[in-house]
Amino acid sequence: MRIRDSVIVALATAALFNAAGCLKHAEPAKADPLLASYDAEPDWSDSTKMIPLGYQQAQGKRVFYQYCVWCHADATPAGPSNRSNLTPVPPLLNDGGTLNPESDEFMQNIITLGGSAMGKSAMMPPYGRTLSAEEVRSVIAFTRAIAQPPYQPPGRPGSQYSAK
Amino acid sequence: MPAEEMGKVTDRMRFVFAVSSLIFLAVLAISPFKDYRREWKQYKRSYLRFAQGRPDTKRLTADYSPDIDQIWLPGLNVVDRCTTCHLGITQASLADKSVPQPFRAHPPIPHNVREWGCTICHRRQGPATEVAEAHESTLAWEQPALPAHFIQASCGACHQSDLLQTPQLVKGRQVLAELNCVGCHKLQGIERPAMLGPDLSSIGTKVSREWIYKWLKEPRTIVDKDGNVTVNGVETEEEPRMPKFRLTEDELKALSGYLSVQRVKALVPYKISPAVVTAWSKNPELISQGELRFRQMFCSTCHSLAVTRAGETKLIGGDIGPELTKVGSKVNPDWLGAWLRDPESYLPHTRMPRYGWSDEDLYKVTQYITTKLFDSDLLSNVPKLDPPTDAEIQAGRRLFTEKGCASCHVIEGISPQKDFGPDLSALGGKNASELEFGTAKIPHNLLSYIQAKLQDPVSVNPAARMPQYNWEPGDLDAVTTALLSMKGAPPTSALQNLVVPRKEVSFHPTGSFAEVYERYKCYTCHKFNGFGGDLAPDLTYEGSRAHRQWLIEFLKNPQTLRPTLILRMPQLNMSDKDAATLADYLSMVMQHPSVNPAATDAKQFTPAMATLGKQLYEVKYQCQSCHTIGGSGGYVGPNLNNAGGWLTPAWIEAWLKNPQALVPDSIEPRRNFTDQEIQALTAYLMTLRAGSKPQKTANNFGSQNSAVGAGR
Repeated sequence: MRIRDSVIVALATAALFNAAGCLKHAEPAKADPLLASYDAEPDWSDSTKMIPLGYQQAQGKRVFYQYCVWCHADATPAGPSNRSNLTPVPPLLNDGGTLNPESDEFMQNIITLGGSAMGKSAMMPPYGRTLSAEEVRSVIAFTRAIAQPPYQPPGRPGSQYSAK
Repeated sequence: MPAEEMGKVTDRMRFVFAVSSLIFLAVLAISPFKDYRREWKQYKRSYLRFAQGRPDTKRLTADYSPDIDQIWLPGLNVVDRCTTCHLGITQASLADKSVPQPFRAHPPIPHNVREWGCTICHRRQGPATEVAEAHESTLAWEQPALPAHFIQASCGACHQSDLLQTPQLVKGRQVLAELNCVGCHKLQGIERPAMLGPDLSSIGTKVSREWIYKWLKEPRTIVDKDGNVTVNGVETEEEPRMPKFRLTEDELKALSGYLSVQRVKALVPYKISPAVVTAWSKNPELISQGELRFRQMFCSTCHSLAVTRAGETKLIGGDIGPELTKVGSKVNPDWLGAWLRDPESYLPHTRMPRYGWSDEDLYKVTQYITTKLFDSDLLSNVPKLDPPTDAEIQAGRRLFTEKGCASCHVIEGISPQKDFGPDLSALGGKNASELEFGTAKIPHNLLSYIQAKLQDPVSVNPAARMPQYNWEPGDLDAVTTALLSMKGAPPTSALQNLVVPRKEVSFHPTGSFAEVYERYKCYTCHKFNGFGGDLAPDLTYEGSRAHRQWLIEFLKNPQTLRPTLILRMPQLNMSDKDAATLADYLSMVMQHPSVNPAATDAKQFTPAMATLGKQLYEVKYQCQSCHTIGGSGGYVGPNLNNAGGWLTPAWIEAWLKNPQALVPDSIEPRRNFTDQEIQALTAYLMTLRAGSKPQKTANNFGSQNSAVGAGR
């Protein structure tokens, strides 16, 4: 009887500790409603939704808001956007309908080499000599993260790990 | 037992022996079995099974060993066994979310995880070999996991200079500096500037005792119960630099009494010429003219005002100087005139430039401020205060040091208490057992402690002297990150070599330039050799960039080159002589070592080149997507209407070759132009001139949402 009691007490204590552990994990990292938050981006089509960003995507967000935002968003840190000045109108960065079908290689190339090299508008300048390959990859990762409709990475055919 | 039976082995003994041997063997076997069942060994085996099912098994298991993996960096106090279970941490093919933990690859970061270990960034317990012990805080270790949202704190422990990749940390350090935290605390990497809060030696000549009482009771920036911050009742996102002290009625009376008698420098009112006053005082246009002048001088670049547009009232303008919506009912009108004419004589180290004033302008602008920026109800809640008694003054004097006012504000004859607040330069490395949690119902860890203390200082220590700050959620997290990054001096010399210190820069010119530069406070907004503000363009290479004549005209009549900007260079009403002094110095001294305007002969550019350049600009490279010429083009870069009158050919050529070599954070992409193309484009840009005056750019944007990016 004694032993059973103490086992129950021990189990209960362990459960309590576990619960405390879970609480500690759930407590910090509340969503930041501000654009200024580096590791989350509001969904452009629904600003109440926050999209959490990993390291690479967050770096992409930083690069995007320095170099790309002026033509690939309707609101910029300075207020107005240059997008409406351009013909053809550049796609919004979250425009999944346009950008999701493009492969990472194509995105990498058009950012690095510019629009004219890829048969698109020459108004898209090449950034390959300004941004590092890593920075370009991070912008693509950010693009994929905020895409609406959401981006589905192409699975390796025949692999059990390919996304369904 | 009979003697003959001694030494004889009976069946019974055999049985006992056999059973005890078996028991002994079983007991012995427990140990290897337990060892076999160890948590980490199970992970190892399950990794092997997992790798078998992947197409790249060979690569995934190339480094596999069945033992404990350990990353040992003696100089950094790192003993990390995390990779024992986190086996795929550097395998790019395991980056996908479908890969189960603990085998998933680490997201790409600038450091090699195998070289640096894990706890250096994530904290937790490196030497542990059990999941719970490694990941949870135990009494023995006390370094709980650092949530990913604050992970940049770990970058800051070694990279004490600012990194592009850590915006949250950089922001946190900026906010700590802006809010004058160094007034009371020692902070790693943040030096005490020449001035924190304003010098109060003569505050009695500026404001009334009633105003001081109101300000101390409720600094004009208020946070309501919904967390909205308002300044004078107008919503804003700006954090107040003056926090709220928890003062009793008696303390308020004593401090306001003491401050209201501070008059070290007597106020010498400036007499505006009677002719100007007679000519303007009855003029119905006086106030609107004053407002116009106030706008033309671009006071709003540094000061904000509440503006109502489309039924919505917002603060618009910069945050370098105080918000001015109700300043007319705050300051003594005589003080205002004297201040505007010569700010430095009242407040040494002020960032306010000394404008050139005509009596007419001064009269119009002061009348506008005292009439229009006025609220007769501002002091209506303040009780009637008589001239202070000696007892009140004495008490106020004592409170001034006791409450920590003297830590940020100067008053003659008062020296601040040394080390008023605790030293925070090693806060980020503290264990929970070193912190006082009081009765606060928060998790006992450093992160929760810092956030609770920042949000409500008395929540963890009822006797805290720290005043109440109002935080934007983003700023609270940024400041927390910066504090967590301050882990004190590195433990060993090996780490000391890795620490990248913050750069200390200063720029102290001499001679006649220095006098003009100090008077107009150019460094409040512009950078010179790395010293100064970042509101406006860096002028370190201005001499290579701009023609001297353009500089003179610009200084006398600043026009924006960027249509999207609302914060503009103030109209300082500079004399010809001042403008020439500044332009001479900028063009002679502030030059890029490899861009010498005198070395490029403008005669080499032929009209044929210019024609080719125009074609390149418009067709091949389509520069008009970002730059405006004439009435059309983009808003991203500066307009080029007067490129020839503004930029030197040497600068244009160097810029086209590599913009980031001249301005490292320029967003203009570096192109692969041929030398001939550079020459042609330069020739074309040199033909763009807008007469003797820089062309005023049509401001196409009605909305003035934000001023971020000013000067870029």
